[in-house]
Amino acid sequence: MLDSYIPIFIIITISALFAIVNVKLSSLLGPSRPSKEKLSTYESGVEPVGTAHDRFSVKFYMVAVLFILFDIEIVFLYPWAVSFLNLDHIKMMYSFYSVIVFIVILLVGYIYVIKKGALKWD
Amino acid sequence: MIQSKEILEILPLVILAFSATIILMLEVFIKKSETVIFGFSLASVTAAIVTSFLYLNREMILFNKYLKITNSAVAFSVIILAGILITIIASKNYIEKEKINFGEYYSLLLFSVMGMFLMIYANDILVIFIGLELMSICFYVLAGFLRLRQKSNESALKYFLLGAFMTGFILYGIALIYGITGTTNLSLIYANPKIFTNYVFIIGTGLFFIGFMFKIGVFPFQMWIPDVYEGAPTIVSGMLSTAGKIAAVGTILPIILSLNILNFRIIFSIAAVATMMYGNVIALAQTNIKRLLAYSSIASAGYIFVGIAAMNEFALQGIAYYLIAYTFMQLGAFIVVSLLEKKDDGSREYKNVDLDYYKGLGKRNPVIALFMTLFLFSLAGIPPFAGFWGKYYLFYAAIQSNLIWLSVVGIMLSLVGVYYYLKIIVYMWFTDSDEYLIGEEVSNSGLGITATGLAVLGTIVFGVDPNIFFRIFKFIIV
Repeated sequence: MLDSYIPIFIIITISALFAIVNVKLSSLLGPSRPSKEKLSTYESGVEPVGTAHDRFSVKFYMVAVLFILFDIEIVFLYPWAVSFLNLDHIKMMYSFYSVIVFIVILLVGYIYVIKKGALKWD
Repeated sequence: MIQSKEILEILPLVILAFSATIILMLEVFIKKSETVIFGFSLASVTAAIVTSFLYLNREMILFNKYLKITNSAVAFSVIILAGILITIIASKNYIEKEKINFGEYYSLLLFSVMGMFLMIYANDILVIFIGLELMSICFYVLAGFLRLRQKSNESALKYFLLGAFMTGFILYGIALIYGITGTTNLSLIYANPKIFTNYVFIIGTGLFFIGFMFKIGVFPFQMWIPDVYEGAPTIVSGMLSTAGKIAAVGTILPIILSLNILNFRIIFSIAAVATMMYGNVIALAQTNIKRLLAYSSIASAGYIFVGIAAMNEFALQGIAYYLIAYTFMQLGAFIVVSLLEKKDDGSREYKNVDLDYYKGLGKRNPVIALFMTLFLFSLAGIPPFAGFWGKYYLFYAAIQSNLIWLSVVGIMLSLVGVYYYLKIIVYMWFTDSDEYLIGEEVSNSGLGITATGLAVLGTIVFGVDPNIFFRIFKFIIV
């Protein structure tokens, strides 16, 4: 059964070898004349200020998490809305009430988030 | 075909889901809502227990074959709810003491129970997965609920990282099972026994079981248990070690039964022996009572796996029986520890969780010491307490399946366990310590003592008359 996978294994091997050999070859064969300009982080960009490992406020995380949470809502609602009219009557009502329950649960979460002050920025 | 009235067939689930969301609203709209929320969650768990009994002896397949209600599922869910009821009663004083008295605590508890119910009632691997995630995410948050304590944060983070990693195992297993069978529905998978010997299917189920062995805490996937149980709030540790494990066992038990896994009996036996050995031997060296109970819970997972390796009628009864005994005694022991814990004084450490603190407890607080003694006797497997009958059924089942070596090894290892349980009892009654004052602890925790009393009642009632359980649930699995 695994016979059909042999070409995939071959191509994985070849592509890995291709990548490694080329990188290695170019570093071995190519000329290497480093200068101060070449070694800077952005050769032709804005000079970096400070370090990237900085602490920043937990509020950013809150917003990110909440965004994902309510973004998922759309992911679920959109396919439902598209296929809603193609359903027969009983399934239509069933799916309608299911989605109502879903939205009410999200609404509860939304009210909770607002009341707890998670969306207050300062 | 889905019918709207099917929603009435899963009333316990609906009740739990609704009350968990209502608790969130009570929390934000009512000031000083702690007592209201406590009463409300108590009422809804009681309602869920009562409605669970409606579905006894009524095997049903619901929601497009996604859910399946069987007697065994009802039995497991009632055991879980009993544990949760005791947990909630004991929680109020504890979370007041630790200054984490938020409504979200109860909400998370109820949501996690809902996840467990989904797992147990599931007839589709993906529903199991959703239930598992719902349960686990609530557990991660609950483990870190004492957010000002480093240990609690450590426990939540360790649990989350390892749990997420194991979720990967389960998902990969599901993917392989789906790839080879073309369905995630358990009934359809069981209906095709030819596939059971296919090696991709075996790898898939193996990965699936690895994830659940992690949740149950079976060797070699047990390393998270001591750290997590030590750091989590004590009541939550008790809940994790009882309800969480029961849900995982209740989920894989019907699957193991339906798949013909007799060829793999030796793997389960070895896992059981290794788990019992690891838990019991390492517990000998512990000086922290929460860690000690954590290792004892690993050993208990080993006993349960003796039953899973035996896999006959007695084993099913034994596992169910051991789980209910285990719920009462393990949860009871954790509640006693939580009662004795010192009030939060801003030190960010758990106080009074060393074994030394239990020296002379019998003189300082005889009632609590007596309760603890009963739980420890039961955990050690001394008749007439429930723990004895649990181990008896499990080892008897192993003998019935011609696994005599397994039951001999198991009994010897459980004798090792007797040493460290009795050590605490000796500390409590036969040694003195002048470090601690009389009556220093257990102020204002009537509810905690009520919960401990309920656990004692369960330990004794099921120990004196072991048939009660089977009379209630005429136990037929699948």
